[in-house]
Amino acid sequence: MIRSLDDVSRIAGEKGPKKLAVLAPEDDEFMLAVKRSWEAGYIEPVLIGNAEKMDELGQKVGFDISRFERIIENDRQRISDLGIGMLFSGKLSIVSKGQIPTAYVYRSIIRAEAKAASGMTVSVVSFWEIPGLGYLTAFTDTGVSIMPDYRTKVDILRNAVFLYHLLGYKKPRIVVISGQRKFGGTFDSHRDYKLLRKAADAGEFGECEIVDATSFTEIFLGPKGRLRDYRDIDLAKIPHIILVPRLDTGNIMCKLDFFLDVTRCSIAVTSRGAVCIPSRADFSDSIITELAMGVVVADRLEEEVR
Amino acid sequence: MAGALADIMEAARKETAKRRLAISSVKRPEMEIISRAAIEGLIVPVLVGDGKAMEALVKKSALQSLEHEIVDVKDSGGSLRAAVALVREGRADMLMQGADGQKMFMNTVLDAKTGLLKDKLASYISVFQLPKSDKLILVTDTFVNNYPGVTEKQLILVHAIKLAGLLGIEAPKAAVLAAIEQVNPNIPSTLDAAILSKMAERGQFGNAVVEGPLDIDCALSHVAAARKGLKSDVTGNADIYLVPDIESGYLLAQSLVFLGKMEMAGVLMGMTKPVIINLPFVSRENRLVEIALASLL
Repeated sequence: MIRSLDDVSRIAGEKGPKKLAVLAPEDDEFMLAVKRSWEAGYIEPVLIGNAEKMDELGQKVGFDISRFERIIENDRQRISDLGIGMLFSGKLSIVSKGQIPTAYVYRSIIRAEAKAASGMTVSVVSFWEIPGLGYLTAFTDTGVSIMPDYRTKVDILRNAVFLYHLLGYKKPRIVVISGQRKFGGTFDSHRDYKLLRKAADAGEFGECEIVDATSFTEIFLGPKGRLRDYRDIDLAKIPHIILVPRLDTGNIMCKLDFFLDVTRCSIAVTSRGAVCIPSRADFSDSIITELAMGVVVADRLEEEVR
Repeated sequence: MAGALADIMEAARKETAKRRLAISSVKRPEMEIISRAAIEGLIVPVLVGDGKAMEALVKKSALQSLEHEIVDVKDSGGSLRAAVALVREGRADMLMQGADGQKMFMNTVLDAKTGLLKDKLASYISVFQLPKSDKLILVTDTFVNNYPGVTEKQLILVHAIKLAGLLGIEAPKAAVLAAIEQVNPNIPSTLDAAILSKMAERGQFGNAVVEGPLDIDCALSHVAAARKGLKSDVTGNADIYLVPDIESGYLLAQSLVFLGKMEMAGVLMGMTKPVIINLPFVSRENRLVEIALASLL
């Protein structure tokens, strides 16, 4: 079981290099992350983007990019389509978003899934490493579905459980989050929690457990508990997978790494492999971890296929 | 300017007039808190409920030797209504939730005819003390409104700006949060945020600087925002975080408490008189701060 991002980096070093397309590495943090990931033996990059910017940044971070495959393209959507197209045609194992708005990447993936008639709902899993926890926790969907309905949540959860199984978690614990309180009416998200719990019990997601809670208060304090002392908070109660009700919630939550002592790492699950989704605001250390996670997921997927 | 929750306590202690705090359904935990608030000189407790039971509780507490009042109400279901009535009639200055259930308490205080609602809506503000920093941040709405539209968010923001002013933040910076920092017609929260931001530009929120839509990384980090091409005084330095809906706000507040271990006290805004609600993720220590905060309103 992969318990930490150190595990991820170690395995990426062992299983790499894997061919990875970088969509618009047109920012020094992204180019630096590509350089360091290549040096660590994680990836063999295919760089897609503006020629001048890539050359300039390569020089700036001391990275000779002439040895790698480069595809010169300026149009943002075309850059994304090219990279995702290579993933879906099996020419490479992983794609990573660079300095390009995420919407372009999701659009490319959704089009490619439709063309492949995979029936796959694309979703993003944002892992968190919380120091001392000994396992990875993750929010989903943090990228694609704005207000997912029950059927979409089933697919989102299926993707996340699949990913956790891939990382060696035999029976991931899941919390389905809802904003429902003891007053204020009933929420669709709470109804979905009940339905998802039944579906999980019926084995619809494979080995997993949806816990009997829909908020962090219920997770950490129980149904009738009250916070007495901050030192009593046991972080080990946090489940592996946190299914959020809406995109707003997921995106706000997963990027709290800018605030809390956690490290984030986001992966889009597609039918043909992993797409790393660093934020355009991320720094090279964080991007390297995301690329390493992409390598590990790609390797485990190839293992599954074999 | 209050930079820590302790500053709120200090400011409340300096208030010369003790506030009369009405509370029904008092159990031992509430008795401990209001006794401490009375010892601090913040309040005179007005205990509403079965007189004999109240007296028995008082005898076992520090309140025994302090100024207090007991209002005898035999009907257990009527004690909350009686406490609200005391506040409405001016015989008490603020209301605190005791052991009454959340639904009953909120529905009673928010009742348009018999409750304590002043504005078109109430909103809840979670005041967090940033660790390793001399700064308080206000996150709203984290408890009351489910899916506010732009009209409701306007008022929620006005409430937060008002509280910021009371805490000494004269020109508060507000980040209106959404999933992304760009305006996307498919994501309603980004539209609401853009409208509020434009309203602020036109001076509709006074001295407040309002920026939105902002995703949380841009709101929290000036550097992150700059990398996304955003330049604003708000990024990395927001005093107010306006969340898109309760699905986000309720989880965000709890996350900062449980995962960030950040001290939090909350306050209900939009009421005729201060109302202190009882949320399980507010520590007992910080419920005392909530009394202090309410006494400053």
